[in-house]
Amino acid sequence: MTSLELKGVGKAYGRKRVLHDISLTFEPGLTLLAGPSGAGKSTLLRLIATAERPNKGSIVWNGRGGRGALRQTLGYAPQAVDLPEDLTAREFAMHIAALKGLNLGQADKQFGAITDAIGLHADINNRVASFSGGMRRRLVFAQALLGEPQVLALDEPTAELDGETARKLSALIVERAQAGAIVVMTTHLADELAPHARAVLRVEGGAVAASRAAESVA
Amino acid sequence: MTAVAISGSSLTTSLLRYGRSRALWLMLLVAPLGARYMLPFEDGGGIKIAVGNALPLMTSPFLGVSLGIIVSTLVMPIAWLYLRSNTTRRQPWQVEEVTAGSRVAIALGRFVADALVLLGVLAALNLAGIYLATFMLEGDALNIAELSFAMWVVAGPAMIGIAALRILFDARPLLRSGFGDFGYFCVWMGSITAPIVTDSAEHPSLASNMWDFAGFVTPLKFGAPPGTDSFSIGGGFLATGTIDLDVMAGLMSPGYLESRLAWVGVAVALVVIAGLIYAPHKAKKKAVLAGRLGALLNSGPPPRVVANAPAAKRAMADALGLVWSEFRLIGSGRVFLLLAAGVAVLAAFADFRHVASPAALLLMLFALSAHAGRSEARGLVALTKVAPFAPIARRVAFVIAGALWTTLLALPGAPPAAALGVLPLAAASGAVAATVAIVLSTLTGSSFAARLVLLVLWYGYTAM
Repeated sequence: MTSLELKGVGKAYGRKRVLHDISLTFEPGLTLLAGPSGAGKSTLLRLIATAERPNKGSIVWNGRGGRGALRQTLGYAPQAVDLPEDLTAREFAMHIAALKGLNLGQADKQFGAITDAIGLHADINNRVASFSGGMRRRLVFAQALLGEPQVLALDEPTAELDGETARKLSALIVERAQAGAIVVMTTHLADELAPHARAVLRVEGGAVAASRAAESVA
Repeated sequence: MTAVAISGSSLTTSLLRYGRSRALWLMLLVAPLGARYMLPFEDGGGIKIAVGNALPLMTSPFLGVSLGIIVSTLVMPIAWLYLRSNTTRRQPWQVEEVTAGSRVAIALGRFVADALVLLGVLAALNLAGIYLATFMLEGDALNIAELSFAMWVVAGPAMIGIAALRILFDARPLLRSGFGDFGYFCVWMGSITAPIVTDSAEHPSLASNMWDFAGFVTPLKFGAPPGTDSFSIGGGFLATGTIDLDVMAGLMSPGYLESRLAWVGVAVALVVIAGLIYAPHKAKKKAVLAGRLGALLNSGPPPRVVANAPAAKRAMADALGLVWSEFRLIGSGRVFLLLAAGVAVLAAFADFRHVASPAALLLMLFALSAHAGRSEARGLVALTKVAPFAPIARRVAFVIAGALWTTLLALPGAPPAAALGVLPLAAASGAVAATVAIVLSTLTGSSFAARLVLLVLWYGYTAM
C-alpha cells in the first residue's frame, strides 16, 4: 500500500518557527487539515507538495526519500497561483500536462472531462484574463487532477465557489480518495467532507493533533 | 484629504517601498560600474568620444559630459527597466481607483519618488566620477565643481524625464503593456538621434537645444575649434590626434541651460497630463471579433467532451512533448500565426540577413519574452516547480523551441544552395534571443526586462 510519511518535520522562516517536529503517516484516502488561520496548514501542505523543503526532518514516499519520486505522481493546487492571463485555460492545462510528462492528446481529453464535471468546460477556450475568481480556482483544481496523481495536495480548493460547484469538486475529490489516492486538503467545508475522510487533523500553533482516526497520527 | 497630503502620502509610500528594494542597491552600482568600464581611459578602454575625428583633451567638464553620455547610453534604458519592473511595479489600483483622491496628486507624489531614486543613481555616478578623475586627470586639472556641474546639467533633466515618462506610460492601458515598452525604446533611440539629425550647434538657441533631450551634443560641439563640428561616440573608429575642447563654453552657450530647465518643466507637465488622462485598469476581456476576421482570430468552441475519459498516461517521449508544448505556447494566438506566416513569405522573397531575419526576430522577441515572462511569474513557478520536469528542463525546452521557431520562419528563404548559410544563423539567433528572454525573465519574474533588452539587441543586430 502506498504511504507518505513525515518524519520529525519542522519548518521555520527566519526565527519564526511555523511547524514543530511533525511526524505523520498518510495512507490512501482523504485527510483533512483543519485549524485556525495562521496555524501552519498551508505550510504543511506546501511541504507535502514539495513546494518547500523542511528545515528539519524528512518526507518519505513509499519508503524513499527525495522529492523526485513523489513529484512523478503529485497533483498540487495551491491557494494562490499567478495564472497566465493571456493563455486560454486549455493552453495552460496542456502546459502543465507537458511539465508532468503526460501524453498531451490524452491529457486534453481528460481535461475536457474534468472541466465538464466542475462546470468549466464551456470556457476552456477562453483566456484566463476573462475568468472570475471561482473559475480560476476550478482551473487550478483541474490541472492538479491531470494524469492519475497518487498524491493530491489541495489548499482550499472550494474557496470562492458557490455551494453547488463546491459540491461537484468535493465529489471528485472523494472519488479520487476512494480510488486509492492520498488526498490531503485544507478546506472550510471540513464538516461537510468529514464523513468521507479517514482522518481530520487539527493543526494548531504549528503542531498537529488528531481529531479523528487517531491511530494514523504518530 | 488635500492634494498636497495625497502627494505626500504617495511620495512617502513609494520611498518606503524603494527603501526596502534590494534591487535598488544593484541599481546604485550600475552607474559607477558603467563609469569604470565606459569612460575613455588613456589605455584605450571604454567608449571613445571624438570631436572632429580627434580625441578631446581630458578635462573635468569633459569628464562630466562623458558621464552624462554614459547616462544616455547605459543608464537610461536600465533606469526604465528598474522603474517599470521593480518594487513599485504593482500598485493597489483596485482600491486606489475607487477613491476620490486626485490622480494628478498621486502621479506627482510617485513621480517625485521615482525622480529622487534616479537622482540618487546620479549622485552615485558623480562620486564614482570624482574618484575615477583622480586617476585620469593630472595635477590641478581636477575641478570637482566643474565635473559635477557638467554631469548634473547634462544628465539630471534626462533622469527626471525618464521618471516622468514612467508615470505617463502607467496612465493609459495601452502604454502599460508591451506596446509602452516598445514606445519607450523608440523614445530613447529618438532622444539620442534627434539632436544629431537636427544638428544646429553652430548657432545654438533654446529651440535647437530642445531637440537634445540627452543634452550632450551642444557641450561637445559648441566648444570645439571652428570647422570641427562632427563628433563620434563609440569604440570602433580610429581617432587621430587630440583636440582642446571648451566644454564649459558649450554648457554656458545661448539657450543650453534654459533648455535643460525647460526639460524639467516638460517632465512635470507630462506628469500632470498623466494624472489628467489617467484611465482605470480594466479586467482583460477576450476580444470578440465578428465576421470572417473574427472566425479567423478567435478561438473556436471547446472540443466535445469525452465522458469518462481515462486519466492521461505518461508520454513515451515526454521531453519531446515538453519542447512541443513550449513551441506551441511561444506561438500561441492566431494573430501570431498570421504574422509568422507573413514573415515566412517575406523570407522567401527578401534578403535574409537584412530584411527577413530582422523581421523574424522582431516578431519572435515579443513572442519569446511574453511566454518567458508568463512561465517565470513567481506565483506560477510555485506551482510548476513541483512538476516532474524541473524548471531548468522547461527552460532548456524553451530555448530549443525558440531556435525551432526562427529556423521554421527562415525555411522559405533557404533554398538548398543557401541553406547552410541561412539556417544556422536563424537557429543561432533564435537560441540567443530565447536564452536572453528566459534568463532575464527568470531573474525578474516578468517579461518586461527581457523585452526591452531584446529590443536593444535587435536594434544592434539590424544595424550590423
